[in-house]
Amino acid sequence: MATKVNWETEWGKALSRAKSEGKTVLLDFFNPG
Amino acid sequence: MDAVTYPDEKVAAFVQNDLIPLRVAFDHKPLAFDFNVKWTPTLITLDADGKEHHRTVGFLGPEELIPSLLLGIGKSHFENERFSEAIAVFDRLLKDYPKSKSAPEAMYLRGVARYKNTHDAKPLREAYDKLAAEYPSSEWTHRAYPYRLIN
Repeated sequence: MATKVNWETEWGKALSRAKSEGKTVLLDFFNPG
Repeated sequence: MDAVTYPDEKVAAFVQNDLIPLRVAFDHKPLAFDFNVKWTPTLITLDADGKEHHRTVGFLGPEELIPSLLLGIGKSHFENERFSEAIAVFDRLLKDYPKSKSAPEAMYLRGVARYKNTHDAKPLREAYDKLAAEYPSSEWTHRAYPYRLIN
């Protein structure tokens, strides 16, 4: 099964995960169309 | 990005495994204002405190997105003075994506990170020599030009 990007949509949750998982955040501003 | 880059298997695996992906609309309040976003796609790499370390605006294909994101991860380590971690990420970028547009900046910053880690200036000279040999027309080769004088 193909890997898919599972995007977080909440700022606080993303930063909390970044802290606990020791990762950098990719913040993508996109045009939902 | 949704049509070409993110569906790419290698890109999806990299973003999912090496980053925390966060996506918001270009007019999100307050983030679009806070980050002064004027065009899409705008991709920003942030540390866990929400501080920006790298930004790109406009489309990137699969062959350029991963090295660009590696550069962002490396710069996050570098600017938080985690120089060993930064060097490891820049090494990965230069090994796996030596022809990418992100490679010259990674080579420059790897030299600086090695200098910061050891207080030995030789890595700066080595960075210039490698940049001049491999990326002679890069702006990063020009920025490293003074390091040619280090013995």
